[in-house]
Amino acid sequence: MRRRLALFCASATLVTACSSLPKQKSMAESNNLSVASPDKFPNPGPFKLVTVNTDKSMEELWQSRGDTGHRGGTFTVSTFGSGPKTFNPWAAADVESDGIGFLMFEHLVDTDAWTGKAYGRLAKSIEISADKKDYIITLRKGLQWSDGKPITADDVVFTMNTLIGRGFGNSSRRDVLSVYGKFPTTTKVDNLTVKIHTDIPFVPFLSSLSGVAIGPKHIVEPITKKPMKEFQAFWDVNCDPKSLVTSGRFKLLRYVPGQRAEFVRNEKYGMVDRTGTRLPYLDKFVYAIVPDQNTQILKFYAGELELLDIRSVKGPDAALMKQREKTGNFTMHGLGPDDGTMFIMFNLNRRKNPENGKYYVEPMKQKWFNNIYFRQAVNHALDRQRIVNNVLRGVGIPLYTPESEASPFINKDLKPYPQDLKLASELLAKGGFTKKPDGLYDADGHKVEFSLLTNSGNIIRDAVCIIIADELKKLGIKVNYQPIDFNILISKVDHAMDWEAIVMGLTGPRLEPYDGANVWKSDGRLHMFDQRKPDSTGKIPVNDARDWETKIDELFDKMATTFDEAKRHKYCNQYQAIVYEQQPFIYLYTPLLLTAIKNSVGNYKPMPLGINYTPLGSMHNLEEIYFYNTQSKGTN
Amino acid sequence: MSVPIYILKRILQALPLLFIISVMSFTMLKLAPIDPLATLRANPAISAAAIKAEEERLGLNKPPVVQYGIWLSSLLQGDLGVSTSGSSVFVLLMQRAGNTLLLGVLTIFFTWLIAVPLGVWAAVHRGRWQDKLCSMISTTGMSMPTFLMALLLLMVALATRMLPIGGLTSPDFFERDSLGQVLDMAQHLIIPVTVLTFVGLAGIQRQMRANLLDVLRAEYVRTARAKGLPENTVIYHHAVRNAINPLITLLGFEFAALLSGAALTETVLAYPGLGRLTLEAVMTKDMNLVMASIMLGGVMLIMGNLLADILLKFVDPRITLQ
Repeated sequence: MRRRLALFCASATLVTACSSLPKQKSMAESNNLSVASPDKFPNPGPFKLVTVNTDKSMEELWQSRGDTGHRGGTFTVSTFGSGPKTFNPWAAADVESDGIGFLMFEHLVDTDAWTGKAYGRLAKSIEISADKKDYIITLRKGLQWSDGKPITADDVVFTMNTLIGRGFGNSSRRDVLSVYGKFPTTTKVDNLTVKIHTDIPFVPFLSSLSGVAIGPKHIVEPITKKPMKEFQAFWDVNCDPKSLVTSGRFKLLRYVPGQRAEFVRNEKYGMVDRTGTRLPYLDKFVYAIVPDQNTQILKFYAGELELLDIRSVKGPDAALMKQREKTGNFTMHGLGPDDGTMFIMFNLNRRKNPENGKYYVEPMKQKWFNNIYFRQAVNHALDRQRIVNNVLRGVGIPLYTPESEASPFINKDLKPYPQDLKLASELLAKGGFTKKPDGLYDADGHKVEFSLLTNSGNIIRDAVCIIIADELKKLGIKVNYQPIDFNILISKVDHAMDWEAIVMGLTGPRLEPYDGANVWKSDGRLHMFDQRKPDSTGKIPVNDARDWETKIDELFDKMATTFDEAKRHKYCNQYQAIVYEQQPFIYLYTPLLLTAIKNSVGNYKPMPLGINYTPLGSMHNLEEIYFYNTQSKGTN
Repeated sequence: MSVPIYILKRILQALPLLFIISVMSFTMLKLAPIDPLATLRANPAISAAAIKAEEERLGLNKPPVVQYGIWLSSLLQGDLGVSTSGSSVFVLLMQRAGNTLLLGVLTIFFTWLIAVPLGVWAAVHRGRWQDKLCSMISTTGMSMPTFLMALLLLMVALATRMLPIGGLTSPDFFERDSLGQVLDMAQHLIIPVTVLTFVGLAGIQRQMRANLLDVLRAEYVRTARAKGLPENTVIYHHAVRNAINPLITLLGFEFAALLSGAALTETVLAYPGLGRLTLEAVMTKDMNLVMASIMLGGVMLIMGNLLADILLKFVDPRITLQ
């Protein structure tokens, strides 16, 4: 399962009217959510390979691990958004289109929802050579595309070398799989076996591979012979659903623009249950497009949706929803912390804008922001628990480190601390600041005042910023809070760089800390707290990295090439410790993930490590999901 | 001037207007500090090379004048271009146009069906409770935000379980027979049509009332009454007919609104209309799609006005086409 970072999309709910609903007890007070844990859904162990012999062929199929259900029913989910932009999984550049790719295409490997380890999906086995540079991947026998053609090593070689390797569609896929700029080579060993070679050992490779949809060569190859431009229109939202040849659980039945995408079972899907029934159980899977979050919740209450997946249920709604659980005939599940992090950052940029010769950040403000005591003081002045209680209504946890609580790589030695205004004042004094009755002054006599930005239309971030401004006022710092449009915010961070402080969030890697390299390495494209500009070749030159930035660079490089788990943890802990001390991002909180599912659905076993892009979302075992009673569907 | 020549003349006059509209909207879109690739830039999994490729594909690295030139020349060849996602803008618009048209026509039908009689009723009972009731209804409709009303109606639908929550069709729509399909759509249309009708009611109702009151003060009405015509004949045969004329101009504007959609209502009600499509396109600065929507709106407005003028000519022979 791929863990990409993606911005918490600016969930600009049009309707804030709902926030005026009667204030409910916070979730912290009425915290009786059933948190999914290994105790609730015991680890069923690895998949079992079963061989089915028919007169013509022999098939190797994975046997499902859940309860035995039965076929039938239409399962409807929705994700708040504007719908898929394309059905072409290689061109997809947005979360929704990417998520739909996961429904239709099976990947070579996936991550086990219970253990977080990679295991074969299309692949029967994955062997890594002793020098850790070669991956021998063997496909299962008898696998078929939805049009009945066999899935073979040729498809894998074509996908890797042509589709991804030549950068068709969203060429980031190539860059994600590239090892220090070099794309691995894939060669066919035999009809069902391929060898992938990386020039140097690269640990994150396998997890990146789990995000690659393997394509049917016999269908896609002709397109790749045409000009690359035409690839964008291939399998776009206007395409004929019948032309989509898939390997995943479902195939597209029809796309009703602006309303929904309907999928039907892929009868060729290579999985069976214990009784030998072909999976998935569901006849139809409907992905409804609902552009408003409140409407989505109402649709769920009305029984038009079976599941409200992660991030559909937000803190302020959760308590209200919990009260309806019994009468609404649904169950809420807590999936623990999100992999997203929310933070406030200061612009540490000390460079001049080459276009006009002016500093991106005023020199006196540069001094404050680059003063470690200033950042540490801000850090200690924040009352994270207050934010969690008041803004998230308890559906979140305070955060102090770059790896979120969801990550197995979180550094447990970095202790949380409560708000401490006295310590904050002391740190400011150490940093040369003096507090006077009318505010805080720096060593040169300038009054400390800065602007704080976040994206508008997000009531949660709005409230967070107001709380931060309020806390910093106690230190004598004047914060001018200004919400701006999401697009403008990003262009400021990305290239204008004329900002002072920003509150924003990143969804982070849950299983693979190296996925944060783009943010943490000093030449990263999202090294937001001190973004350097790319040169004409697109490379980002670095000549003014701070010592601790260089140290983090080294640690990330080591993390990428060390296969030894314990050592990786050590490097990861070290980088977190540096961030914990330097506070380039001052972390605030992680939301808790909640889902709500109708009680008529069987085999729904959400696990914190089994979370993917929606619509697959928390349904890592979607093929096993079934209705207890297919007749009763839609009558509640 | 005969009607066909008049139409031709108006169309020729419209062309420079459309050109100016296109230049203005293009300039405004370009000036807006929205970066169409912002979401890509904010996504660490997207590489710098991919962003560069995307800039090239969308022509963002060319100067705005050149971008406009490209857009205009392909428009003149009948090509609306592709949206940022790579799909044809024309197909995207066509997919939604039918839905928006359906909603628009039904809304106009019901608005006029209710508003005109209501306006007459209010004017006839001027100052009495009937008039006050009408003014209360129209004030409420005018002052209530559409999204709020849409949301409230959704809550009513949830409480009564009688109507579906948003959308235009049910997931099993394509498995139903044609009667079932019509009923399904009708069910889904009740809330959006109600919301938009209620909102549109006020303007026409008040206009109708004011017109009728004006007419009722006219000399010929007094004459009609004086010569002993029954009050009903005076009002419905003489006064209302004359009072309706100014409304025809309004109808022209309503026609223009047919295809522009109601973005907020469509969003809250998950209605697959053009308004939502355009709003989403503006948010992501999907130039070709936004430009196509604006031009469509411009064409509809010009056509609506033309239609209204011609209609007026037929309704009122005193008017000459100049």
